Amino acid sequence: MIKIKIDFEKLLLAAFFALLLFIGPGITLNHKIMHDFPYGYSASDAFQHQVRAEAVKDAGSFRHDAPYISFGIENLVGRYPPVIYHLAVLLSYSAGLEVYDSIYFIVFFFTVIGILIMYFIIKNFNKNVALISLPLAILAFSLPPSIGFLWGHWPSLLAQFFLIAFAWCITNINLEKSYILTSVILAAIALTHSSEAAFAIIFAGLFFVVGFISNRLEKNFAKKFFISIILFFILASYYLVIFYNTWAKAQPYSFAVMPTWEGNPGFYLAGFGLLLLFILLGILFSLLKISSMHASIVFAFAMLISGFSNYIGFDTRAFQIRFFWPIYLSVFFGFGIYALLKSITKKSSMAFSIILFLLFTILLSGMIKLPFMDNKISLLGQEMTAMPHYKGSSSQGVMDSYHWSALKWLSKKSGHNSKVYFFYGDIYSQDALLRNSKRFHYQVDPKDFIKAIQEKKIKKSYISELPGDSGGRPVTRSGLFSFEDAMTSKPDEYFFGPQSICNFDYLVFDKVSQQQALAQYNLLIASELLKKDYIKKAFENEIVVILKNNNKGADCIEERSF
Amino acid sequence: MKKEVFEVAKKEFQFIGILFLLSMAIFKIAFFRESFIVLFRSVLSLFWLFVLPGYFIMFYWREKLEFVERIVIGIAVAAGIIGIFSYYAGVIGLNIKYHIFLLPLVIILVGSLINVKFKNEF
Repeated sequence: MIKIKIDFEKLLLAAFFALLLFIGPGITLNHKIMHDFPYGYSASDAFQHQVRAEAVKDAGSFRHDAPYISFGIENLVGRYPPVIYHLAVLLSYSAGLEVYDSIYFIVFFFTVIGILIMYFIIKNFNKNVALISLPLAILAFSLPPSIGFLWGHWPSLLAQFFLIAFAWCITNINLEKSYILTSVILAAIALTHSSEAAFAIIFAGLFFVVGFISNRLEKNFAKKFFISIILFFILASYYLVIFYNTWAKAQPYSFAVMPTWEGNPGFYLAGFGLLLLFILLGILFSLLKISSMHASIVFAFAMLISGFSNYIGFDTRAFQIRFFWPIYLSVFFGFGIYALLKSITKKSSMAFSIILFLLFTILLSGMIKLPFMDNKISLLGQEMTAMPHYKGSSSQGVMDSYHWSALKWLSKKSGHNSKVYFFYGDIYSQDALLRNSKRFHYQVDPKDFIKAIQEKKIKKSYISELPGDSGGRPVTRSGLFSFEDAMTSKPDEYFFGPQSICNFDYLVFDKVSQQQALAQYNLLIASELLKKDYIKKAFENEIVVILKNNNKGADCIEERSF
Repeated sequence: MKKEVFEVAKKEFQFIGILFLLSMAIFKIAFFRESFIVLFRSVLSLFWLFVLPGYFIMFYWREKLEFVERIVIGIAVAAGIIGIFSYYAGVIGLNIKYHIFLLPLVIILVGSLINVKFKNEF
């Protein structure tokens, strides 16, 4: 008979783990793990990563990018950091989930685990502070930070999970052979979203400087860290060669100031509302005790600085770090409250910390909403919500079952080398979702499409876009260290220009739109095409109709006015 | 030494079993609309891919770190190792569908070997 010593701390952690799963993936994914289509995907980037993971599953590896992702070009090197795709495919196979479910799930799951790791990092500093800090992490699943999940900044979020694990490794660097853990985690960061490796180095550098100044650096720190770096390069070298020849050349560092994230609801310090007072208090108390600053505090400072690196050229990468500010800066929040109470009462009590933990968990999760919480206040010259609390999204997102079944039909029933043309669809502006057809495809340029409606013309040729992924400089590999740009050999018209709709095997039309005139024009073109006996309906549901052109290249439509 | 390792592992495996049941209960709360079989497969997969390999890796530090902390950080380390080596195994031609059996198994075996045989010399 096994005896288990269950302490109150572990019960609280288990309950908090359940709460995070409930309000994070639970609410966003409609309390299901398995869905009939990509559920809760709110932007193109989410589909971009989902499709790439699908392609890895289909190919069995990530040696090459799929041609339907990269402009129809064959043998492009798989240049995106690969870890997230591999983890998603492994969970897909293992749990019997579709890749679109597994990739979303792992990002949420590992974020929750990251919050628990952060707890242990802070606990290494002070158990009371760790407990009081924990509830702030709830805001990572609330709007606006949850945009990171909804809009598909998944590689960054997963890399930040590893970044938290890296902070744990540095905190525990005194462990025997700790460099093994440090090197693996650092390599995982680089192979998940490489820019986070730079933020890891910022933290390690700050940790070294603070430790050196305060003369509290573990005597073997430099040696262990050096071994970690050597092992890291051994583990990551193959991918780093690819990274150097793609991303590093396509997006080299350049100094630029980017105060706001245009087109994105970024997260700013003001988003913490009145809680910012406790965070600022924590920062103040931390600075007063700089000579004994714990690694968790150094980590929080490093991530605070990194979150502002949009002013020194890190642009969107800095804003992505802010998605996890509720996790990183939680130690300031907890320490601020703890130090304030201790300075008043002159003693600390675990019972009091548990009460504060429960109180903030209830308030920040929105279980109880006090009247003042949603009031607008002005602090530090900015207007903000008095006390932020959980505001989740339970929308099904961009995709629906009708479009999904059409895309799945194309991927399964059309010939592998088929060319697909997408006419106007409301959701097609999030163009990465079209890659789920797994076929080479163009889509009509909405401006040219609307112009044709205004001119009352049915045309054979429309301005069209080839919606592929050009991020990080698509390259082919001609040697171990030699790579060739794959885009330069193609003329500009290949990517954007007039395309005859008669040159495609399949033509996809949406039958409904929020602007019904656009859908009616779609159906008018479809009916004109169907006048040719070699063009047939191949697929149809309530929303989408797909025509098959059995005589590609023939004069498939009569140009006329209507 | 070996006996001590087995005794600790035996005891902690019972904890892992309890952790599995607790995880099932928590997943049922968070994903209450999901069927039992999907939840069971999902939790089992998370344990096979991340919790168990992580446990065997972190077992080396059992004297310095408590069980729950080892489990939690072990999940991160296992995810890192499996993600990295799955990528490289794919690059050299081993189809990813085989990785779900091979990689966790190799990590568990290597972790066991290190802890049983080489803890003192490693």
